[in-house]
Amino acid sequence: MAGAFVAVGLATSAPAQAATPNLEGVWKIAAPTNTLKPVGGDPPFTAEGRKQYNENKRLQAKGAYDDYDITMSRCNSPGTPRLMLTPERFKIWQQLGVLTFDFEWNGALRQIDASGRPPIVDPLGRGLVPTMTGTSRGHWEGDTLVAQTTNLSDRTLLDDLVPHTADLKVIERLRLLDRDTLEDRITIEDPAYFTRPWEAVVIYKRQPEELFPQDVCLDRLQAHQPIFPQ
Amino acid sequence: MRAEISWRHGLKGLALAGAAALALGAGAAGAQPSGPPPGAGGPGGPPGGQAFGPPPEPPMPPAENLVAELPAPTVPRMRPVPAPAADSPMPAADPRDLRGTWFHNQRLEFRMQRDMYGVSVPYNMDGAKVLARRVTSLKEGKPYINASAICRPPGPQWQRDLNFPFQIFQSKDWIQFVFEEYHGRWHVILNPAKAPRPAQKDYMGYSVGHWDGGTLVVESKNFKQALWLDVDGTPLSANGKLIQRIRKVDNGDHNPYLEIITTIDDPTYYTRPWSVVRTFGWHPGLTVFNEYNCEEQIGDPSVSADAGLLPEPQR
Repeated sequence: MAGAFVAVGLATSAPAQAATPNLEGVWKIAAPTNTLKPVGGDPPFTAEGRKQYNENKRLQAKGAYDDYDITMSRCNSPGTPRLMLTPERFKIWQQLGVLTFDFEWNGALRQIDASGRPPIVDPLGRGLVPTMTGTSRGHWEGDTLVAQTTNLSDRTLLDDLVPHTADLKVIERLRLLDRDTLEDRITIEDPAYFTRPWEAVVIYKRQPEELFPQDVCLDRLQAHQPIFPQ
Repeated sequence: MRAEISWRHGLKGLALAGAAALALGAGAAGAQPSGPPPGAGGPGGPPGGQAFGPPPEPPMPPAENLVAELPAPTVPRMRPVPAPAADSPMPAADPRDLRGTWFHNQRLEFRMQRDMYGVSVPYNMDGAKVLARRVTSLKEGKPYINASAICRPPGPQWQRDLNFPFQIFQSKDWIQFVFEEYHGRWHVILNPAKAPRPAQKDYMGYSVGHWDGGTLVVESKNFKQALWLDVDGTPLSANGKLIQRIRKVDNGDHNPYLEIITTIDDPTYYTRPWSVVRTFGWHPGLTVFNEYNCEEQIGDPSVSADAGLLPEPQR
């Protein structure tokens, strides 16, 4: 399936690019879940983290989504890392040293810059504002893409309940376990809400190469349909 | 492409095409068609051997008159973008490989007033009335709802005409334009057998393309709804078509660009097809997009879902 993509690369001055592992393709989470489940247990909450988590559970039970989860109330981007739990497919494109994750859900995007190029100075200063998907820089360690994401807005959740602060750091190690299986080992660091870094592992299976139909979450919201299609 | 230009329009066209070229950046200048516009006449003047200057101009059609009397559009300010570094990666040499990151390098037009030859947009009266209604609503501070304002994909033409970059990804069966804004995806299907028409209509329409030499020719139609082609609301009916001719131009000056000529074919609003040309510079440094997350505001249950805009009357 990967062979469906154009094989030639862009002309580049970076000769090492030819050896870059190829994660391109269409992927889908192997075991759909709403929970970013830590390896070997529960999230190691601090007292403050536990308090916010319990509050989120209370608000969820009331259906008061806009008070804690604006993805569910507004179609806000689930952000990093929650986008990696969306039940629908996503594509990974590798181009110009940047991995673009092109999600079927609402046409959402996240990108990991593994180009090694210095970031462009934005004269408008938008890089100073935390965003839902944050700023992701990556590098390759053998067959594994190691990506670190910071500058994350505290208006997202790690999953459908677990909170984080704006000091969150997400470290991901993405690699192919085999040609049709992608692994994302996700490490969460956020000292205000967790007593130590913790790790979750999410597995994706390769899907046939297809164009995704247009998905507009706001249209579903307006039609009182589920934010995440069932 | 059809280019039926009257003597009156042709003369105007020459002057305006020059003015348009002056407004372009260095990388875009080559995108302008060379030579006189088709139908402008040779150096000897109009046919018939008359050497006494052009005939008197016919009266302006009522539709064009209505449009000509509208307030002038706003001239936008451009987002400053640094030029690519000298050692930047370059596009593939294959003219049929469009992959990479591209960014508008012309001054944006908030309202298309003339075609690529400088000729007035050929409105019929229905089209002129739609534009007049929209421009008047803006002037009165009561703008109408449109896709862009409520965070929906605004269609291929306006999406490309925004001051934001896009990336092109490519496979043998389709080409995908991914835009920074509006979660915009423009799918150009090269092999319809591998990408059947979706069950539901798409804001971006259904686009099928083929290669004509080094030019990708794409027909887009079957839009979910009527489009605004620009900020002021130049209209395309839901039954209208866009034909895009896309080619990568590399003059060997380390300044490659995409040229996209769009022909608007919509008898509902125009007396004939007409075309505009846009160019997009090569910008690998813009491959990492700024985040687009309009939903945080427009989805807020405490504010109006239509951004406070007014529904547009249909007549």
